[in-house]
Amino acid sequence: MSLLKPFSKLPGLNTANILLVENEEQFQQKLADTVVLQEKTVNVNVRLARSLPLPMENEESRPRIDLVVFIIHLTSELSFQSAETSLNYLDPGYFQGKVCFLVTSARNVSVPPERLVSVRKLAASFHCPLLCAEDQTPEGVTTAAHRLLAILKVAAGLVPMATGLYLSTLTRCTVPSDIDQQNFE
Amino acid sequence: MMLYLTTFPYQDSSCIMGKRDVQIHFLSLLVLFFSVMEERNSTEETPRNNALAQRRSKSYRHSMRSCVEATHLTYTSGLLTALRIPRSRKAPKSRDITKQVDPDQVALLVKKEWQLSYVTPLYQFRHTQLKSYSKQLSAFIVSEKQQGLAIEVGQELGFKVNFSVVLGLAETDKDAETVFIQILSKQAFGAKDDAQKVVWSGWLTCVNGDLDYLRSLPLEFVSLPLFCTRGPESLTVLVKSWFEKTFDCCFGPLGINSTNLQWLASLWTGCHPTINIQYLKLVWTLPTLPPMDVTYTVHPQDAWELWDSMRQVDTTEDSISIDEVTGFINGLQAHFFRHFRIDLSAGSLMQISTALGSSHHSGKIKIASPNYIPTILQLLTECALLKMPI
Repeated sequence: MSLLKPFSKLPGLNTANILLVENEEQFQQKLADTVVLQEKTVNVNVRLARSLPLPMENEESRPRIDLVVFIIHLTSELSFQSAETSLNYLDPGYFQGKVCFLVTSARNVSVPPERLVSVRKLAASFHCPLLCAEDQTPEGVTTAAHRLLAILKVAAGLVPMATGLYLSTLTRCTVPSDIDQQNFE
Repeated sequence: MMLYLTTFPYQDSSCIMGKRDVQIHFLSLLVLFFSVMEERNSTEETPRNNALAQRRSKSYRHSMRSCVEATHLTYTSGLLTALRIPRSRKAPKSRDITKQVDPDQVALLVKKEWQLSYVTPLYQFRHTQLKSYSKQLSAFIVSEKQQGLAIEVGQELGFKVNFSVVLGLAETDKDAETVFIQILSKQAFGAKDDAQKVVWSGWLTCVNGDLDYLRSLPLEFVSLPLFCTRGPESLTVLVKSWFEKTFDCCFGPLGINSTNLQWLASLWTGCHPTINIQYLKLVWTLPTLPPMDVTYTVHPQDAWELWDSMRQVDTTEDSISIDEVTGFINGLQAHFFRHFRIDLSAGSLMQISTALGSSHHSGKIKIASPNYIPTILQLLTECALLKMPI
C-alpha cells in the first residue's frame, strides 16, 4: 500500500520518466514504442503497469516517475474502474500537473456517452488534463505520443520557464455546465 | 539506439489485477534542445471538449432553424434545446394498451423483431394525406424497381402500399400519432381474391418525446424520431429514400448502447411481479482473442429479488434511478465473477432478453407483451432523439 511519490527520488540528468497505466495492456506497448522513437533529444524511460500500486520488488531501481498516464478504454467499464482504484495510490503531489488521462474510442458509436462524461468528471475532479487518442491507426498513436511527450517534458522540468502545475492550469479538464445539470434532474 | 525490456513476475498470483512493471530505456544523442513552440502547438490540439463542442453545435443548429422559421432573429437559449441523458425513469406500470389502441394494430407491432433507425423531423408531413402518400410511395417503388429494365418483367413489380395511423400510442398531446406502413406484393397471375402478402412493414413513432424539444420545433415539422422496419433491406432503402426526398428528413441507424440495454433489463425485471418474465438472459462479448460470448441466464425470481434489494435504497417508489440500474447489473456481474472468475465489466453487453421482449446492441428490438409498450417506446424515442443530429 505504498504511495507513489513524485519527489522522493532525485531526477536524472536530461531524463524524463513516464508511467503508462492500462488495465487491458492493449495500447501501452504500442504507445511506449512510439514515445521512445519520437523523442530524440531527451532520454525517455517508459514504464508500464497494469494498475497501481507498483510492486515493491524493484522499488530501489525504479527512477523518479515524472508523469503518470492512465489509459482508459471507453469500450470497457472495467478500464475506468481500474483507473479509479489506481488513483488512490498516488501521492497528492502528482496532481500538480504530473497526472494525465488518455481515453480511446471516444468516437465509437457503440460506447454509451455516459462513460466519457464520467471520465471527464474524474479528470476534472483531479484537475488533470484529458487527452483523446486513436489507438487503431499508426497516425493516431503518433499523435498521442506527441501530446504525451509535450506534457512529459514540462512535467519533468525540461522546458525552461514552464512547470507541470503551470501547464495543468491551462490544460486541465473542465466539466461543462450542461453535464453538471444532469445531476439535478 | 538501444532498447531493452525487463519483465518482472506477478507478485501475487491470486490477484486478478496482476502488477507488472516493464521498463524501456532509450538512450539517444544527448542534445539539449527543446522546441517550446512545437510543444505549445501540440498541447493546443488536445480535443478536451469534444462532447461539449458536439452538444453546442446541436443546440446552435437547432436555434438556427427556429430563427429561420420565426423570420426574425429571435433568441433561443441553448438550455431549451439541449437534450440530456436521463438519469431516472418512471417505474413501468402494466396497462392494458388495447383499451386505447385498436387490438389488431397492436398485434401488428408486438412479437416481431424490428430494426431501429432514427429520423429527423419530417417537413410538411400531414396525417390527413396518408392516402396520397400510399400512392406516391408505391409509384416510387415501382419506378425504382423498373429502372434499367426495358420491359416489365416478373410479378414482383406489383406493390401496394398502405399508410395507416395507430391512434392512442401517443402519450402527450405534443407527440405525433404513430404511422404504420405496410407494403403488400400483388401477384400478377394470382386470383383476385388471393390474400396479398405483406412483404415489408415499418412504423414511425414518438412516445413521450422530450417536451422542450417538441415545443421548440417549427409548426411545419412533425417529429416521429423512431423508425422501426421489418422486411428486405432493398425495400427499406427505397422507403427511406422516398421519405428523404418527400419530407426533407434524414435517417440513420439507431443502436442500443449498453446503458440502455441495462435500463431495459432492469425495467423488464421490475415487471416480474405482474407478468412472469420466465427468464432474464444477458449476452456479453469479451474482448479476448478470439472474442468470447458469454450468455448469462438468470432465474426470474432471483433476478427480481436482486432488483428488489436494489430498489429498497430508493425512497420514492415511482422512479428508478440510473444508480439502481448499475447496482443491479454490478450485482449480476459480481455473482458471475465469484463463480467463473470472469469479470464481465471488461466486455460489452450485447443482448438482453426476457419473455417480455428482447433487444440487441445493433438496434433490434422485439416487444412480446403489449402491456409495457409505452415504457419501451419511450426509452427508444429518447435514444433516437439523443442520436439524431439536430
